[in-house]
Amino acid sequence: MRIVAVDPDSCVACRNCEYTCAFQQTGDFDRARAHIRVAYYPAERACVPFTCMHCAEAWCMEVCPAGAIARNEETGAVEIDAARCAGCKMCLLACPFGNIGFDEADGVSGKCDLCGGDPRCVGSCISGALEYVEVEDAFAFRREALDTRLRHVLRLDKGRP
Amino acid sequence: MRPAGVMRRHVAIVGNGAAAISALETFRTHDRDSRVTVASAEPCTAYSRVLLPYYLRRKVPYHHLFIRDAAFYRDFDADLLLESAVERVDVGARRLEFADGRNLPFDRLLLAPGSSPVRPPIPGLEGPEVQHLWRLDEAGRLDHLFRQGARALVIGAGFVSLQAVWAARQRGLVVTVIELAERILPTVLDDAGARILQECIVASGVDLHTNTRTEGLMRDERGTLRVSVEGLPSFAADVVIVGTGVRPNDHLLAECVEPAQRGITVDDTMQTAIDGVYAAGDVARGPVVGGGPRTVHALWPTAVEQGKIAGANLAGARATYAGSLSMNVTSMFGVTVASLGRFAAEEGDTVVLRDDLPGLRYLKIVVREGVPVGAVALGGAAAATALGFLRPFVRQRVPVADIEAVVTGEHVAGRIARGRAIGRVVPGGSGS
Repeated sequence: MRIVAVDPDSCVACRNCEYTCAFQQTGDFDRARAHIRVAYYPAERACVPFTCMHCAEAWCMEVCPAGAIARNEETGAVEIDAARCAGCKMCLLACPFGNIGFDEADGVSGKCDLCGGDPRCVGSCISGALEYVEVEDAFAFRREALDTRLRHVLRLDKGRP
Repeated sequence: MRPAGVMRRHVAIVGNGAAAISALETFRTHDRDSRVTVASAEPCTAYSRVLLPYYLRRKVPYHHLFIRDAAFYRDFDADLLLESAVERVDVGARRLEFADGRNLPFDRLLLAPGSSPVRPPIPGLEGPEVQHLWRLDEAGRLDHLFRQGARALVIGAGFVSLQAVWAARQRGLVVTVIELAERILPTVLDDAGARILQECIVASGVDLHTNTRTEGLMRDERGTLRVSVEGLPSFAADVVIVGTGVRPNDHLLAECVEPAQRGITVDDTMQTAIDGVYAAGDVARGPVVGGGPRTVHALWPTAVEQGKIAGANLAGARATYAGSLSMNVTSMFGVTVASLGRFAAEEGDTVVLRDDLPGLRYLKIVVREGVPVGAVALGGAAAATALGFLRPFVRQRVPVADIEAVVTGEHVAGRIARGRAIGRVVPGGSGS
């Protein structure tokens, strides 16, 4: 499957991805309801987008007591069925990345669903920071690699440029 | 191919809840060959008890209570026996004995029969208006009793009871809660968190009395239940919800229950003292995160995790359980309530208390030797997210230098610390 990979070196914090995601998911441009978030660190002059990585062992999906979270067999995305979601917030407690949001108006959880296989955030990214790539290729971008790059971008590694 | 004449191994699973389902699913990823029987005391495919208060609140429709359908059991090649309450496990003969006299031999067994509500010895606590909120049929009966303006008595102020109270208020009932203990939710919240929630409960119009004994119920000349409560004038009740705790259904394997304990003792493979006999979920007294005495954690996530381990080991894999970590979350009375691990401070602990973080009315984190061991959070959805951030540190016992950074989403130091605590995560699904 493919996922949205993130390159913090390229992001310019234009927030197009957030606006596009919010519009795709809600029909409005309220960035707070987007399922991708760009963290902006002014002191370090750095910005990093974050979104769900559709974990191979998705704990949100395993612990959902409503059976509302399932993997889309076509896209591989871990998706929340809003009609089944009870709004118990167990998935928010299960996700260690904070990548699941809660829609207070409807009382249901929400997260990235890869837009059914055509993630709009990637299409709207102006700097090439987001790419929709095969998991194997994306792995260089992900997790530990991302943290290392984050430390580098944020100049937390002493003795490095 | 199996050689001719060799019998298929038979795995029996007693129960049809979170632990049983999780075990079956995991078992089949290892073993497509053995025969599997799932024995349920109830008359339907798997449903989620966690959702019953949400059903009463009309948040979840009836048909969505069912989390697996008949096709699921076919797909996972399991015989589902309904209305098949197991009365006894004959360990010597390796067979289940059902209440109706049938029996079923097994080669390997998982006991996941859950727990049952306790009815306190209160005189007159009987009749069609008196219900637990535990099984599906009870929720259905409560749904009929939940009429606008009806008077409800709720005995006990635990997690399920209070969710029932919230549902009753949403449905326009007049609700009185009587709790024998000094405070609400002793296993889910600390004192200060309980006080905040209690204010919200009272503000929603609930008549809540803690430290109060329900003396008895009797019927007046018109057949209406009247309730006698210590220190209060007697009052009429159209519906009575009894929520005074649950007890594991551990009588099925009493020889594996330690004296003065509850729950069937299991090791870190979820095996009982009897070879090939496993237990998981509400019935199991298993290992906990960070060591310490084995405990029954009657929680949905624990049942899922234990079921996974048991399912793998029933198939001969060698899975071990790192231990359960208590976690609770719900929203009621307009506030999200979440807790994790050991949130009662002991001597030598450091306690972080905050009421100024975005989206959090109250946050308490208990830290022991630099390592967070438990937390309570109340507020908006951020309460659940914050404890989600903290959970890997508690689970992996990772010290935290800057707790505020860890529980605040985009703080850079927290993000890096969290990345280290979470460790290796494989993105993307392998299924497709």
